[in-house]
This record gives sequence, structure tokens and C-alpha cells, in this order.
Amino acid sequence: MHAHPPMRLACRQATFRYPQTASAVFENLAFDMPGPGFNALFGPSGVGKTSLARLLMGERDGFSGELQMTGIKRVLYTYNTERLPGWAAVGQHLERIIAPRQHEQKDQLVELFDMTPHLGSRFAQLSLGQKNRINLIRYLLQDFEMLVMDESLANVDEPTREKILLGIKARFPDKFFLYISHNVIEVAKFCRHILVMAGKGRTPSAAMVAGQDLTGDQPLERDPLERTMLEIMNAA
Amino acid sequence: MLLRRIYQFLIIYFLGLAILLGVKYALRLSNYVIPDPLLLGLTFQSEALRYFKDVLDTMSIAIIGQVLSICLAVLIGILGRQTTWFGSFVKVAAYNVQAYPIVALAPIIFILLGDGFLSRLLIAAMICYFPLLLSVLGIMAEPIGDIEHFYRITGRMRWQLEVKIRAFENLSKLTTVVAGSATLAMAGTIVAEFIAANAGIGYSIRIALYQSDLGKILIALFLIGISLSVYQGLLEWAGAIIRKTWESR
Amino acid sequence: MLTIFWAAPAADAADPINYRLKWLFNASVVGDLYADVNGHFTEARLAVKVKSGGPERDAIKELELGQAQFGVASADQVIRALDKGAPVVVLAQIFQVNPLQWIYRRTDPPIRQLADLKGRVIGITYGGNDETIMRTLLAQAGLAEPEVTLFNVRYDYTPFYRRQVDIWPVYRNTQGIIIGRKMQAENEPVRFFIPGEFGVRFVANSVVTSRRMLQNEPATVKRFIQALLAGWEAALDPANTVRALDTLQQFDRDTPREQLAEQLDITRSLIKPTTEFKIGTIDTAAWKQTEQIMLTQKQVAKPVQVETVLHPEFVF
Repeated sequence: MHAHPPMRLACRQATFRYPQTASAVFENLAFDMPGPGFNALFGPSGVGKTSLARLLMGERDGFSGELQMTGIKRVLYTYNTERLPGWAAVGQHLERIIAPRQHEQKDQLVELFDMTPHLGSRFAQLSLGQKNRINLIRYLLQDFEMLVMDESLANVDEPTREKILLGIKARFPDKFFLYISHNVIEVAKFCRHILVMAGKGRTPSAAMVAGQDLTGDQPLERDPLERTMLEIMNAA
Repeated sequence: MLLRRIYQFLIIYFLGLAILLGVKYALRLSNYVIPDPLLLGLTFQSEALRYFKDVLDTMSIAIIGQVLSICLAVLIGILGRQTTWFGSFVKVAAYNVQAYPIVALAPIIFILLGDGFLSRLLIAAMICYFPLLLSVLGIMAEPIGDIEHFYRITGRMRWQLEVKIRAFENLSKLTTVVAGSATLAMAGTIVAEFIAANAGIGYSIRIALYQSDLGKILIALFLIGISLSVYQGLLEWAGAIIRKTWESR
Repeated sequence: MLTIFWAAPAADAADPINYRLKWLFNASVVGDLYADVNGHFTEARLAVKVKSGGPERDAIKELELGQAQFGVASADQVIRALDKGAPVVVLAQIFQVNPLQWIYRRTDPPIRQLADLKGRVIGITYGGNDETIMRTLLAQAGLAEPEVTLFNVRYDYTPFYRRQVDIWPVYRNTQGIIIGRKMQAENEPVRFFIPGEFGVRFVANSVVTSRRMLQNEPATVKRFIQALLAGWEAALDPANTVRALDTLQQFDRDTPREQLAEQLDITRSLIKPTTEFKIGTIDTAAWKQTEQIMLTQKQVAKPVQVETVLHPEFVF
């Protein structure tokens, strides 16, 4: 393992409620997630994953408690219904919004994401999965320490998704990823730390589960994976 | 699109005319109340060319007025899109001024500018400007979150880009608004001419009204309608072309 | 629109009668209002509703549509309507002298003959009666542009106040008084140019009804016109001035009473030129002249023989 700058995302007594509403989205949330690495945020819908992501981006309205980010200056948040403007081909957009020094890296990512044949297309002409992939590429090559990926690989077929996740982990080992997904297997398989947010009224409100953190060069063991999945399901 | 507009207008016009003639024959009204087709034909023969020139005169002013108000509406729309104090001030002012009926403002305009070209232009612009402004403001003030998010979060958002995104996403709405505002500009110019000017089809309509000549008015309405249909059809066609080239450049 | 279909075209004695005026309520309709307010119609057992007119109203059309049973129209309207086959008849002529005249400054040289119009800037409303009248006068004088300059007039008098226009068309008994007073206040006394003095007697407001009404309800027509003219006689009788002004003030609240009084005086001189004169008398020669003028100016396509629709028998 390389020596990476220490990163940490920690949270104590965090409560969030939408302004002018009585009931909290989450209450007394506490966790400690070390980075860098490919971590996950897991939980049923409405549990506050997106609210937490907003919090990380600096939106503090409706929030009380303590949030600690060590070694993380820039947080980016991307989600699965984002669109690129329609007035130019997606390849041209990538050229324009990615620094020239990273163009080589961009080409590699495009290749890895199987997007090379689609660079000349307009965003609207792409399939849902292709849209999400092209969107993720542009985020990966921005300046950030933490990237929150909210369902960013939705509608992408499983083999491609695996290839992409492994590729991201291999290429950006010193970044802190927070992957929001509803896919238990995927989260259990590829993520290092999984913050499982529990449904309303459950205590504790969140639990940290260690994932299998699969990389390309080691085989996957069945039993530990199943254990992790079970742990996640129990905590949720 | 252009042809459809024209035949749709023709259907509406002749349907209206048929109803009028139906009333005429059912109640056995004289040509003074509602002219018969023969008299309409004669009136068309004697007045159509002169009225058509009047319509072109009116329409040229309406078009200039419309272009001016589009420019102004876009400018104010861009300024007013922000959620700042100035933005909301611009919006409130735009909404309030719209409440003044133009017929009340027209005399002031005529006193200040006389009854020539400028007054007609100003009134045309004023009548079509406010609805345009409201549409442009509505479009420009509405964030396209799914597209703008990336630019905002990466600190790349500039006002030009924001305007470009919102305009592009609402291009067909903008085209409809612009084509619709042509009607308003035309109506505005005609009202101005009717109230005071020395030229244009509104002025001719006023004279026909003095003479209780419904035939002339029907001919004028026909020429106004057909010219406006052609103009709006051309605007929509231009809008479609702009959209197509922008989308496939 | 639907009311057209069901409105009863004829009225009998018990039916309400709609009487559509040519213009808004002002001194020019004092007799119409007086007959209404002071019970002349009720005495004749008529339920009359006097309705104000306006630029968008046309009494002759309303007669034909059955929306009005009597109305006020100017001679040119009657002649145009006849030209297009409208079944209209004339029962009485209210104005003996057309109130449409031109105002000009006393400091300007007086217009003693038509040739004196030469070189002046003359206001006319294009398409209006004043245009017809002025063009006739100019033709008589053998004048044409650019010997005179015609200026398009609208409701705003500024061009006259600013001396951009020398002579300006006004209704002598209403606007004429108001503008004359304003000018007087600025030490600019005025005079009026009266077309009738130069032989152009273009007939103004007259009482009209439909041919059908006249045929089917001659008794109602007679009662109406006699009640109306009695109202006019009473309104213009100097002995009734106070009552006439009270009536006017009910309907025209914007004009001060002393101006109304002056308007009433002038109106009297235009409608009842002498104390013996019978209000409503139809000046057939003037009607014929009006038709001739409109024919000459191609405002009607063919002669309409306007004298055939004049019914002077009701005025006595």
C-alpha cells in the first residue's frame, strides 16, 4: 500500500431536518469513516443519504451537530439524472471542461467506460447508461478530494459497471469516494467502508460495515462477501 | 408550418364570414349592416391593393417594434433572472407597468412624440414587450438544475453560460413566444394608428369606421390576418431552423 | 349575437322603446334628455330608454337589427345607409345649422370669403364629415393643396394651441365653447368659420327610424316624435333654462354649469334660429345638397334620392 495523506470523514450528533418541518430526516447520526478509498453510503430511500451528501458539499441549512472532514478540501457531488448541454457533441464537451494536461487520462477513461464510439453523439442521443458514464467521466477529471457518486452508474450493465468501478479504484487510489447505491452486492464487493444508514426509528441510526474492497488483482471469496451482505442487511 | 398557418387562418376567416352572411340572410339585413359577397368583392377590388400597402406599412413598424422589444426583453430578462434585489425589482416593475392600459398611455405618447413613426413604433413595442418580458423572465429565472449543477459545483458557471443553457433548453418555448408576440406587435401598431397616426391599416380602419363601411373593415381584417399568418409562419420556420442547426452543429 | 335573432323588430305602445343617440350625453342632446327627464315620453304613454351614442355606435344599424326603434344619425350616415339598401327614414332634423365649424384666432385675418382660406393650415379629420365639408368648400373656392395645407386632426388640440394649425374643426356648441374660453383666458379671442355661410349646408343630427316601424306603427311614431320635439321646444325655451341646465348637469357632470349655459345658448341658435321656428323642420334642399356633395366626392356610388325618405309631416 502507498502512503496516502490521512483523510477522515467523521460526524457526531448530526441531526438534519428540512427547514420548517418538525420531524428529522436523521437524528444523532455518528460515524467515523477513514479515507482515502472507495467507500459507500447505503440505506433505504428517504433515510437521508442525499441530505448527508449536501451537507458534505457545505450546505448547512437544517443541520445541527458536528461534522469533521480531515484532508478533504473539495467535495464534488454527482447524481444520475444530470445532463450535458445539447448544443455540442459530448466529446466536445469533455474537451472543453477537462484541463488539457488531463486529456490523455480522459481518453483512457473514455476507453475504459466503453464510450469511444459515442463521443460524436449529442447527449440526448445516448442511452441512460451511456449518459451516466459520460457524466461520471467529466467529474472524475475535476479537482476534488472527495467525490460523492449518487447512483452514478445506474442503468449501466453489470460487467461494464464492475470494469468501471475497478478502473476508478486503480486510477484514483488517493481520492475519497462515497458511492451511493442500492445494490447490496456491489457495495459489499467493491467498497472498503460502508456507512449503512438505518430506517427511521431504528437505533443505532447508522452502522459502519467493512466491505470486501475488491481490487482487480485478487480473487473474490464467497463466504466473507455473504457475511458482509448480511451485516449490511441487518444494519439497514 | 407556413402553409398550415395560412389555411388555418383562411378557414377561421371564411367561417366567421359565413356566420355573418348567415345572420345577414336570416334577418334580411341590408348591405349597410352586413355587405353581401358581391359588394365585398367590389370593395376588395377597389381597396385591396391600397389596404395591402397599408398592412405592409403597419407590419414593417410592428416588426421593428417587435425586434426592439425582443432585445429589451432579453436584456431585462437576463438582468431580472437573478434572485438579487435588483432582479426582483426589475420583475416587480415589469409586472406593474403591464397593468397600465396602453390606450391610457397612448395620448401621452402622442403628445410627446407626435403622430408619426416613433409613436407607432413605441406603442407596438410596448404592447408586445411586456408579455415577451414575462416569458423571458420566466425562462431565464428557472434553473435547469440537472445541467447547471456540474458548472456550479466545479465553479465554472458564468452568466453567459447560464443564459445559454436556459435559452437552449427552452428554445421551442421562446420561438412560440416570439411568434405570438408578432400578433401583439401588430395589434399594438394598429391600435396606435387607430388612435392617432396618419398612416397604416389602423388609420384606414378608423376611416372605414367613420363611414360605417363594414365591407372595408372585413377586407382589412382579411389582409391583416393573412399577412400576420405568413409572418408568424416564417418566424416559426426560422425558429425551427435555428433549433435544428444549434442541435446538430 | 344571439339577441339579434330574438329581439322583436317592432314595438307597440306598451313595448319599451330604445332611442339611440349619435354621441355622448352633452348639450347637443339636451332636448332628448329633457323629454325623458321631464315626462314628455311618459305623458305620451311611451316607455323610452334614451341611450348615449359614441364612435362605435350606429343608430341606423341598430334600427335594422331591432335593437333600437328610434335613433339619431347625421345626414351622411343616412345617405350612406340608403346607398347600401338600409330601410331608414328621416322624421325630423334637429340641427338647422351644422355645429361642425372651424375655430380660429381673432388676430388672424378673418375669413370673409372662401379665397381667404388660401395659405392657411387647415385641420381636418380624415374620413370625417369635416373633411367632406372642407373639401367641398375648397373645391368651390378652386383651392387645392399646396395652396392650403391640410393637417390631420385628433382629439388633442395642442397643434392648434401651438399655432401649427390655423383653423381647427370643432363642434361649435360644445368643444367650441370650451376651447374658446381657454383661448380667451390666454388673451387670444377666437372666431368661427361657418361653412353654412358659404353655401355648404351639410345636414347634421336628425331623428330616424326604420321604414317598417313607420309602416307598422305610425301612431307610435307620431306620438314619439311629437313628445320628443315637445321636449326639445321646452328645453330650448329661455323660460325653462334652469330646468334644462339641471337636466344637462345630471348627465354631463364634467362641464361646469356656466359653460353648460353658454353651450345651451349656442345650441339654441343652431336648432331654433328664430323664436317662431318649429324645431325638427326638415330642410329638404340641404338634404339634397348633402347627397350631391357625397356623390361628387364619390362617397356614395349612385344617387339615393334622399328626399324620398324624408317625412316632414310629423313636425307641426
